[in-house]
Amino acid sequence: MNEIPIILFTPLLAGVLAWLINVKGVRELIGVIGAATPLAFLAKLYPTIVNNPNNPITYQMTVSGFKVTFTLGMLNWYFAAIASLVGLAMAFGMVSTSKNGYDWLFALMSYTGVLGVFLSWDFVSFFLLWELMTFASFMMVLKRNRHESLKYFVLSVIGAYAMLLAIALIYAKTGALDFDSIRQALYMDAMLGSISKGETALIFVLFLTAFGVKAGAWPLHVWAPGAYSETDQSYTTFFSGALSKAGAYGFLLLYILMGAKLYYALGTFHGHLTFAYIIAWIGAITVVVASFLAVLQEDIRKLFAYSSVGQVGYILLAFGLGTGLGFAGGLFHVLSHAVFKGLFWLVTAAIILQTGKTQFKDFGGLAEKMPFTFAMGLIAVLSLAGIPPMAGFASKWLIYEAAISAHMPLVAGAIFLGSALAFAYVVRFLYAVWFGQRPSDLEDVKEAPLPLLIAMAILAIPNIVFGIAPGLVTNYLNKALGGEVVGGNYYKLVTQTGTYNALTVALLLVVGLAIAGLIYLYGAKARRIPVTNTYQSGNPVTEEFNLSIRRNFYLPLKEALAFWLRYSFDKFYERIAQLSEDFADTLREGFYNGNVQAYSWYLAIVLVILALWGVL
Amino acid sequence: MIDWKLILETIGILIYATFMGFIFMGIERKAMARIQRRVGPPIYQPIIDTLKLLGKKESVSHGFIYDFGPVFALGASIAALLFIPIANFQLFSTNADLIVVAYLLEVPMLGIMLGAMSSGNPYSAVGVQRGLLTMVAMQLPYGLALIALIQHWGTFKLNDIVALQQAHGWSITVPALLLALIVFDIVFQAMLGLEPFDIIPAPAEISMGPMVEYGGKHAALLFTQHAVQLFAETAFFAVLFLGGASNLLELLIKQIAVLFISIFIASIYPRFTIDQAAKFFWKWPTIIGIIAVLLTM
Repeated sequence: MNEIPIILFTPLLAGVLAWLINVKGVRELIGVIGAATPLAFLAKLYPTIVNNPNNPITYQMTVSGFKVTFTLGMLNWYFAAIASLVGLAMAFGMVSTSKNGYDWLFALMSYTGVLGVFLSWDFVSFFLLWELMTFASFMMVLKRNRHESLKYFVLSVIGAYAMLLAIALIYAKTGALDFDSIRQALYMDAMLGSISKGETALIFVLFLTAFGVKAGAWPLHVWAPGAYSETDQSYTTFFSGALSKAGAYGFLLLYILMGAKLYYALGTFHGHLTFAYIIAWIGAITVVVASFLAVLQEDIRKLFAYSSVGQVGYILLAFGLGTGLGFAGGLFHVLSHAVFKGLFWLVTAAIILQTGKTQFKDFGGLAEKMPFTFAMGLIAVLSLAGIPPMAGFASKWLIYEAAISAHMPLVAGAIFLGSALAFAYVVRFLYAVWFGQRPSDLEDVKEAPLPLLIAMAILAIPNIVFGIAPGLVTNYLNKALGGEVVGGNYYKLVTQTGTYNALTVALLLVVGLAIAGLIYLYGAKARRIPVTNTYQSGNPVTEEFNLSIRRNFYLPLKEALAFWLRYSFDKFYERIAQLSEDFADTLREGFYNGNVQAYSWYLAIVLVILALWGVL
Repeated sequence: MIDWKLILETIGILIYATFMGFIFMGIERKAMARIQRRVGPPIYQPIIDTLKLLGKKESVSHGFIYDFGPVFALGASIAALLFIPIANFQLFSTNADLIVVAYLLEVPMLGIMLGAMSSGNPYSAVGVQRGLLTMVAMQLPYGLALIALIQHWGTFKLNDIVALQQAHGWSITVPALLLALIVFDIVFQAMLGLEPFDIIPAPAEISMGPMVEYGGKHAALLFTQHAVQLFAETAFFAVLFLGGASNLLELLIKQIAVLFISIFIASIYPRFTIDQAAKFFWKWPTIIGIIAVLLTM
C-alpha cells in the first residue's frame, strides 16, 4: 500500500461526501481538504521522485480482470503537481462561488479523473479515468447550458472513441495494454515493420483526434468557448488550467509510446520528423486562429476561452518541434499557462460573482472597487503578455529559442504574431473591466470574498516565483528529460544559443522604475481629478456621457479580417449536426412508415437475400 | 564584490543615452523643418521642453495606474537599454539575448497604454486601440526579420552577433539579410512612431491619442521615455544590421544615419489609416520577410 491510491481517490471521496452531506460549511471544508490532500502527498513524495528518477513509484491493482498500473515518475509528478495546485485554487474559489453539493461532486470527480490520466501507466486505467474526467466536466457544463454541454460531449465522445479504436488497434497488433510493453513492442516493430505504414498513420490520426479534442486544437476547438464560459468560473480554473493539459499530456505520451515507430513509418520532411511537423503546424494554426478570435470577443468569458485555446496551441507547437528544448519549453508553458490562466479565471469568477455581468459593455472602472482582484488580474496580464520577469515570459522565451533553433521559422513567426495578439486581448480586458467610467449600477460593488482572494494568491505566487527563478522549473525538467537541456542556475537560463537572466532583468526593471520614480517625485505634487474632468475637444463632460469605448473595440481589425471571419468551423459543425439530424428523421419516416405492407416487403427482401446467399 | 566599473559605466551610458536621445529628437525636428524650408527650433529644444514640463507648478492625476503607467514605461525603456551592447560597453548584454531585448522594447508601450486607459478619455482609448493594432500588424514582419537574422548568424546573443559581423562583414552585406533589413526598416518606422505609421499619437487626427490627458511631470516622463527609447531602438538597429560599433562616435554616426532614413521617409509620406497599415504590413513586408527567412534556412 502506498500513497498513489490516496492521491487519486481522495478528491472523488471528498466530492461524494460533500454531495451526500450537503450542509453549508461542512461540504466546503470537506471539499477543500479533499482538494488539498493530493498536493500535500505529492509534495511529500517530491524528494523520493527526484532522487530515484529511474525507479518510479508504482501501484498496481486488479479491476474486473484487468491489471491496472499507476506510476509516479518525474513526468507524471510534474503534471499531477500542476493539476493539484490548480485544483486547490479551484476548491478555494468554489467555496465562494458554488452554492450546492452537485458542483462539488463533479468538480472533484474531474479532479480525480485528471490526476488519474496523468498517473496511469496502462491504457485501461488511462481510458477509464479519461472518460470519468470527460463525464464530470460535461456534467458541470450541463447544469448551465444544454446546447454547449452537448457540443462538448459529442466532440469528446468522438475523441474518446477514436482513442478506443486506436487502443484496440495497438492491442490487436502488440497484445499489450500497459505502456512499458507497448513502448517496447512498438520500438521493436519500428525495425521489423510488421505494422504497416498505413496502419501506423491511422493510429496516429486517431490519437491526434482524441488528444486534439481535449487540448482544443484547431479545428476541434469549437467546444471550448462554450464549455469554458457556461460553467462555474472557479471550476473553469481547473477546466482550462489543468483539464486541457490532459490533451497536451496525450501528445507527449504519443512520443513516449510510438515516437520511434512513427519516425520509421512516416519518415522525415525537410529534416523534421513528419509526425512532429504536423503537430507543430496544428499548434501554430491554433495559436493564430484562437488569438485572433479572442481579440474580437465581446464577452469576458469567451475572450479567455479563446485565449486558453491559443495558449494550449503554444504547448502543442513546442512539443511538435521534437527537440529537447522544445519539450522543455512546452512543459514549462504547461506550468505557466496553468498558473496564469487559472488566475485569470479566478479573477473572472470574482468579477462575475460581485457584479453578475459578463459582457464588456456593462463594465468599467472596477479597479477602485476591487483593488486586490485588480492587482491579481494585473499579475496574470503581465504573465500572459510575456512581460519579463514573469513565468509566462520564461516559458515563451524557451519556445521562441526552440522554434528558431529547430529551423521552423514560419512556425516561430506564428508565435510572434500570437504574442502581439495576446497583448491586444489582455489590454482589451484591462480597459473594459478595470478602467474608465464606472456605470452607475456598479457603484456598490465590493471586493471579492476572502476564499477567492486566497485562491488567487495561491496561483499568483508561482507566477512571480517561477518567473524570477525559472531555473527551479528547468532544473527539474532537465532531470525529467534526462539530460542538460537548459543550463544555468536558479535565476539564469542558458541554451546553446542564448541566455536569459531573470533576476538581472527583474533587478534592472526595479532600477529603471526607481529612476523614473525619482523623476516623478521631483515634479510637482499631483492633484486627483475625477474621470469626467477630461479633455473632450474642449467641451464640458457630465456623468451622462459614455466616455469609454465598450463595444467593438477592435472594429478595424474585424473589418480587415472580414473575409476570413466568414468561414467558421463552428457553423460547419452545426451544419453537419443539422444534416445528420435531418438524415435520421428521413430514415425514421421512410422505414417506420406504419404501412403493414411495407413491413412485409422488408421480410420478403430479407428472405430473398437469404435465398440468394444460399441459406434457404 | 560590487562591480564598481560596471555601475559607473551604467550610470554614464544612461546619462549619455538620455542626452543623446533628446538631441536625436531635436535633430528630427530640425531636419523636418529644413525639409520644409523652415529654420526650426534649436537642436536642444526637446531638453528645454522637458525641463519646462518638469517645472510646472501643478499636475493632475486620474489615479494610481495613471501615475504608474509613464513610470513603468520609462523604467522598462531603461531596462531595455541596459541589455543592448552600446559600442564598446557591454553593460548587461551577456545576461539577456535578442528575444528578451525585443520584448523589453515593447513593454514601454504597455506602460503608456496602461496609463492612458486609466484616464478614461475616449481619444486615449482610440489611440490605445490603434497602437495595439499597429503592433499586431507589424509583429509578423518584425518577427520574420529577426528570425532571418538569427538563422543566419546562428545565435541569439547580441554581443555574439556583433562579434560575428565584425569578423564576417556587416549583416547588410548578406543578400538575404538585406531583405530582412528592408523589412526591419519599414517596421522601424512604426516602432519610432513616425509617418506613415504615426497612427498611435496621430496629432491633428485624435489629439495625440494615448498622450492626450498627460501634462506636467507625466508628460516630462513620457518625453524622457521617448528619448531613451529612441536611443535604444537606433542602437538596436545598428547592433543587428550595421555591425555594432567599437566606440561611441562610430555608433553615433550609425544611429544618425538610421535616423535620417526614417526622417526622410517620414517627411514625404502622409499617414496610413489603421486598416491600410494592417493590410500593408501583412502584404509586402511579410512576403519579403518570408523570402528572407527561406533564404537563410
